[in-house]
Amino acid sequence: MSSATAPEAGQGVAAPAAAPGPAGPRPASKKVKPLSKRQRPLWMLIPGGVLMTFIIVIPFLIGVWISLTDLDQYTLRRWLSAPFVGLANYVESLSAGLPAAIWISLSFAIISTIVTVPIGVAAAIVTQNKYKGRALIRAIFLIPYVLPSFVVATVWRTMLQPDGIVNILLNKAGIGDQLWLSGSTAYWTLILVEIWAAWPFIYLLALSGLQSVDSEVHEASALDGASWWPKLRYIVLPYLKGPLALAFLLATLNHINNFTLPFVLFGAPAPESVNVMPMIVYVTSFQSLRFGLSAAMAIVSLIIIAIPLFIYLRAVRLDVHEEGGK
Amino acid sequence: MVHTTMRSVAALGSVGLVAVALAACSSSGGTSSGGDTNAGAGKTLNVYIGNNSQYPTEQKAWFESTSAKFKAQTGATVTWETFASANDELTKIQTSVVSGQGPDVYSLGTTFTPTAYGTGAFVKLTDKEWTALGGKEKFVPATLGISGPDPANLVGIPFNSRPFVMAYNKDLLKAAGIDKPATTWDELGQQAKTLTKGDVFGLAIAYKDGFDPWKFAWGMSITAGNPLIDGKTAKLDDPTTKKAYDTYFGWLTRDKAVDPASIGWSNAQALAAFSQGKAAYFPMTTYTSAPTLDKSAIKDKYAYALLPTVPPGATSLPSGGKDAASILSGDNVVVADYSQNKDLAFQFVKMLTDPAIQDEYFKIFGNLPVNAQSAAALKSDPKLAVFTEASAKSVATPFTGAWGDTQVALTNVVVQSIPDLSKGSVSDADLTARLATAQKAAQSAVDRAK
Repeated sequence: MSSATAPEAGQGVAAPAAAPGPAGPRPASKKVKPLSKRQRPLWMLIPGGVLMTFIIVIPFLIGVWISLTDLDQYTLRRWLSAPFVGLANYVESLSAGLPAAIWISLSFAIISTIVTVPIGVAAAIVTQNKYKGRALIRAIFLIPYVLPSFVVATVWRTMLQPDGIVNILLNKAGIGDQLWLSGSTAYWTLILVEIWAAWPFIYLLALSGLQSVDSEVHEASALDGASWWPKLRYIVLPYLKGPLALAFLLATLNHINNFTLPFVLFGAPAPESVNVMPMIVYVTSFQSLRFGLSAAMAIVSLIIIAIPLFIYLRAVRLDVHEEGGK
Repeated sequence: MVHTTMRSVAALGSVGLVAVALAACSSSGGTSSGGDTNAGAGKTLNVYIGNNSQYPTEQKAWFESTSAKFKAQTGATVTWETFASANDELTKIQTSVVSGQGPDVYSLGTTFTPTAYGTGAFVKLTDKEWTALGGKEKFVPATLGISGPDPANLVGIPFNSRPFVMAYNKDLLKAAGIDKPATTWDELGQQAKTLTKGDVFGLAIAYKDGFDPWKFAWGMSITAGNPLIDGKTAKLDDPTTKKAYDTYFGWLTRDKAVDPASIGWSNAQALAAFSQGKAAYFPMTTYTSAPTLDKSAIKDKYAYALLPTVPPGATSLPSGGKDAASILSGDNVVVADYSQNKDLAFQFVKMLTDPAIQDEYFKIFGNLPVNAQSAAALKSDPKLAVFTEASAKSVATPFTGAWGDTQVALTNVVVQSIPDLSKGSVSDADLTARLATAQKAAQSAVDRAK
């Protein structure tokens, strides 16, 4: 996979769209590239480039520099002259709970994504064909997505209290109550609430993928007498591959990114099982006031996550241009 | 992920970047003229103060009336900015400290004063400043206990006091044949057991609160002679602290004198249970609970008493133990070192701490005055006597920049013990291990303290 050559990977992505026959235009577009390269008005990138430099590159470099200093509450006032400590913060971050936090973040994000993908796809398929009330169902499906994370977390926290509505119902059903917001169960609570709030994102992307299936393809398969399963397996799902790969990546990043949900659900200090990466960086920065250490934590996490992410991007070819054709 | 961390790193970096930009704009130091009546004309004083969620409209009105008074006095305009949480305030202090620009006057929670002191961003009070404030002697002496590490290095000017006490249900105690509230922690535990009947529990405890747990741990430890941080040594693994946690957990696990649901409660939820008559005692509350209780089902049945000052396992204060009824709690105000209007700021703080505003502030918000004259006037009110006594018997938490981390570490012991509490017991080994983790965190914070 890692050594995927361009033609192989190209085939992989082109395959779903094989029906319309997109393989043709590719060599032609390659030929004109040198010409267009020469004529590209690169200067038009300057405004964006300047903006990127100021809002990403320079702060990032300052962040790297901060990670090499002992910047804390005592040195904050003269932050430019904070003592340089080399890699000490990086070494400390490894013993300050960062590896566990990365593991929790990654596993939580991947599990959440894996569960939300089938839910989102199923919801998209259910609302694909026209029927009475479809608009209403589509609107209802979007409710978890449009609610602010803070609201979602507050409502769930209230429901999951030891004497909250969920435990009351579980007791009535004879199942017995659970300690949702503490201990190791907190991890599964976080995943549960995240799934509840995040599946409509997959649903939206899957729906957009479904709508890109040409009606001729549906007609052709109907004429050929394809039943629903072959139609789903060989026509619809291949069309969804691209949007779902993107959805998988973005959703996983969103899960890892989510600070509001664990913070509002569990508070700080949080149970150890939900000390996700954004929480540990936040607590180190804004409760312990160790900015140097937290910057190092952020950068270590960045590097550790960037490696598999890069491999994944290469594998699903999201970092290159779409092939020719539609 | 990359986005997350990129963003985190970029956010940290942005603070620095903004600082460079703002530092370029702000000129350095220099106190303004000012001091006399119209010196403030045309000037604006920025004040940063906690948002009062209990009395939002009253607070707005108070802002306006106080601004008007100050304008009449000095000609200066006061602009108020509020913060909703300690984290908001911290972020504001951070950005202001880094950029050298921001509010002139900050109101800080007392236990946050050491952290603010650590930044070195606030004016150290010399004789000149005390004179401008109307003299150090105008304050209740105990309230100055958390203004700085030593009398020569004070930054915090006391503004109001909120000592902790316990509320109790007179009827429930009477029905159980208890004629006066407990004065030792053991007695409280015993009484709580007696008072627990059916769905009424002896104690309302907020195990899930972000602050309550460490206050119990501190209160029981300090009365046993352990201040938790002694110079450069953290003492969270001391037997006195372990005994404190054991007692605190034991009310639920051994005595069954606490509602099992309280493992999910915040302080407000515990107050709600007490106000519904579902608990006989509500330890760890302040006078700010009075408005809620006065509107509740038990409005004529409750009273306040001092928290026990005899540590668990003892019948009298042991030698070395401190007779601490409460942490030194309330608000201090500090004047930013970067302020261009320092003289005006001190004039303003003088006005806040003079009897007129102190009396008014107590009447509106229920925060006790720190002005000695105003405080003395309250002593004659029997209902308030317990608060003035608690205020006088308040002891400051250790004045170190490491206190923030220590507080979190103490609370974390309870956070991580909640699953065990729900199962009915916290084993000795688990408690020891959690205290060892807390000790490590606190000691490492103490070691870094400068």
